[in-house]
Amino acid sequence: MTTTSQNAEDLEIVSAPGLTDQLGNLLYDFVVHYLWDKRWFIIALAIGGAVASLPLPEGLSREGMIVLGMSVAATVMFITEPIPLPGVALLIILGQIFILGHDSSAVAKTLWNDSVLFIMGSLMLAVAVVKQKLDRRIAWLIVRITGTKTTRVCLGISIVSGLMASFIGEHTVAAMMLPVGMTLIMLTSDDPKKVRGLAAVILLSVAYGASVAAIATPSGGARNAIMIGYWREFFFDPTNPETLKFLMGYLRWLIFAYPLFLVQLPFVTLILFMTFKPEYKDLSRAVVRLRKQVEEQGSMKRADWVAIALFVMTLLGWIFLSDAVGMGTIALLGATAFLIAGLVHWEDINSGVNWGVVLLYGAAISLGIEMKESGAAQWVAENFLELLVPFGIEKGIGLWAAISVLTTAIANTMSAGASVAVLGPIMLKVAIAAEESPILIGFVTAVSTGFGYLTVFAAPACTIVYASGYLKVTDFLRAGWKMAITSIIIMLLAAALYWPILGL
Amino acid sequence: MMADNNIDLEKIRGVRKDRFRILVCIDGAEDSYLGLNYAADVGRQPDSDIILFYVRPVDQGMRTGGLQVRVARENMMNWGLELPGIQYLKKGRDRLMEDYDLAADWAEETTHTDVQGDPLGDNKTEYRHSSGKSIVLKLKVAPSVVAGILDQYELGPYDLIVIGGSGRWGGKGISLWDPAVAEKVAVHAPCSVLVTRELEGGKGHLLCTDGSERAMEMIRKTAALVKRTGAGHLSVLSVALSADGEAEARNHVDKAAELVRSLDIEPREVITRVGNPVEEIITAGSEYSLIVTGDTGITGIKRFFMGSVAFKVMEYAKNSVMVVR
Repeated sequence: MTTTSQNAEDLEIVSAPGLTDQLGNLLYDFVVHYLWDKRWFIIALAIGGAVASLPLPEGLSREGMIVLGMSVAATVMFITEPIPLPGVALLIILGQIFILGHDSSAVAKTLWNDSVLFIMGSLMLAVAVVKQKLDRRIAWLIVRITGTKTTRVCLGISIVSGLMASFIGEHTVAAMMLPVGMTLIMLTSDDPKKVRGLAAVILLSVAYGASVAAIATPSGGARNAIMIGYWREFFFDPTNPETLKFLMGYLRWLIFAYPLFLVQLPFVTLILFMTFKPEYKDLSRAVVRLRKQVEEQGSMKRADWVAIALFVMTLLGWIFLSDAVGMGTIALLGATAFLIAGLVHWEDINSGVNWGVVLLYGAAISLGIEMKESGAAQWVAENFLELLVPFGIEKGIGLWAAISVLTTAIANTMSAGASVAVLGPIMLKVAIAAEESPILIGFVTAVSTGFGYLTVFAAPACTIVYASGYLKVTDFLRAGWKMAITSIIIMLLAAALYWPILGL
Repeated sequence: MMADNNIDLEKIRGVRKDRFRILVCIDGAEDSYLGLNYAADVGRQPDSDIILFYVRPVDQGMRTGGLQVRVARENMMNWGLELPGIQYLKKGRDRLMEDYDLAADWAEETTHTDVQGDPLGDNKTEYRHSSGKSIVLKLKVAPSVVAGILDQYELGPYDLIVIGGSGRWGGKGISLWDPAVAEKVAVHAPCSVLVTRELEGGKGHLLCTDGSERAMEMIRKTAALVKRTGAGHLSVLSVALSADGEAEARNHVDKAAELVRSLDIEPREVITRVGNPVEEIITAGSEYSLIVTGDTGITGIKRFFMGSVAFKVMEYAKNSVMVVR
């Protein structure tokens, strides 16, 4: 393979490892393993540093430039994840203190607000709801109404997943409905190869049904709460009664967005059945066995009723009281009630909630507010609009479509919440510069981040359903692009025809 | 506590020293089952154990909007559903037992180890045959697939690791054993590693030698391996860099062939080629079931700047490659 002289050298090296070789090994390990593994971290920092130290363009301060650099670096890290994402959150906090020279207590104050409390409370509620084990009953309810035909069962699954997800978040529903879907699949056939198409329609009915619903109410997803937070931070002025409309309540959001979800719902089943061919047209075998499992569980217990009552009360609290005390407060109240009633153990909540997400969204919102205050958001918004002028889409429906497509693209590469946190401030400033309604543009942005149908990791429901092992990455692509186009069109129609009626 | 563990580990290692242990990484892709077929062939003697192995990376809850995937998994377990991985392993087990035609005589033993932050932890089911042979299914939770495989080596030394090299989508976390995983394992594992790519049995092993002691040792080991198989056969190849070196290359293969004969195996073919070693090995190797190379043993700065023929072959070959240590 090599010449003899080289062989002799190799043998020497092997027999007497010298200092140079040890250093060489160290260097090799360092370069190949450490630097290569962390390459995106280094690239992100380099890009951020480069942006921050560029010559100042007109209309932007040095501080704005630095904040912009931090935002770009954070976005690259959100997408490539070279370090754990909560680590990015910590970097944002440290950056504000060390690079921007802010007071640490002042930075700490920007980390918590009602939106972040709301995200945290909703996650605790989500675990509490999953732990009630109502999923078998829900499954039975679905098949009792729909019968055993595959198309009707799938429509039923996506409707029920959607209705639940619109109030308790898509991840909660995906976690509850995943076993339902898998059971139906496994009771139909043991061999995964024989039910590939069936698995795709059932599991994607859960995932997409929950995904389209996540935009419907503020509690559908963290992104909604983040946008509500931005509206308040950016536009609400307690001394000016005109700005009261920027305090978005639970009910008002629901009126804006719920019809959008309802219109999208039938398309989920339609698109899935156009894309995949289920092997079985009828699921009666699986349904009969599912019924048996439910019967073993017995009738509804008192605890089940209490859980349902607590949840309905939380929901009513969001609708009627959240304007007065804040949505986050109601979410915490609901979670606390579940704990007091003994329906969920703190240990379950503690291990079921990824607290890093709370930290991440807190830091991302804090950076978003920094974008606004340093003028960076304004500057990016103006330049973004200028880019659109040659295409004639700097206002009206063209602008909405541009924002929607851009947001959808970004939301498919990183988590929806992070997308809103990063893009929200810019898009709200775009609205001001283009003389559009910030409420409308805010909705376009927040709703578009819900269109993460294309990749496994874009939408929480997709990630959870993918964990079943039944789906391929390409399944999401095959059906997802149709879903994304349909959703964008429906949303643009709403923005043009429906939202203006409600007054913006 | 730690000391106890160490003693246990020592004891286990002592017992395992005399056994021929093959770790087969199963990811559900066809390549991994083809690798299993090869492992079944090599491990047909009673003194061989086959460990079917699946690594599930620890769940990262950030992608799921803050609700940990474990909540969904725990819910699945409440429904009595099996998690992905277990199905793959069971399919492998069924194939193996069918293959050995020893269906009746297996004693089953299941053990479970808790892993922090995961509802399932590590699970292991051992099937022991009265002949002493055992088949183990192991589902492990680890921060990454590579770490899981290398940790598994630490738990009990293996003679051979078989891993599928099929390049499904190389995105992170999406393909379990993307080529990078197989490559990393091949570089870091202390034992022989076979990376399978559409491994087709029956076409024999191509052993590449450069005449070094190390290569001869590799040939000795591979010959022992081939002897374990039912009908495996081997050929030897040496590549000269230029026409001048051809006589020397001839000399190398003859020495290798002699060594193989002394171990009671008749080499099918004895080949010399002239040219770039990597290209020649890959071209010649495409005719065989798998290409066998030795770990060239280049370390330190030299490896950093030159790379090694063995790993270049591993990277660019279209068919299966085994690095023997």
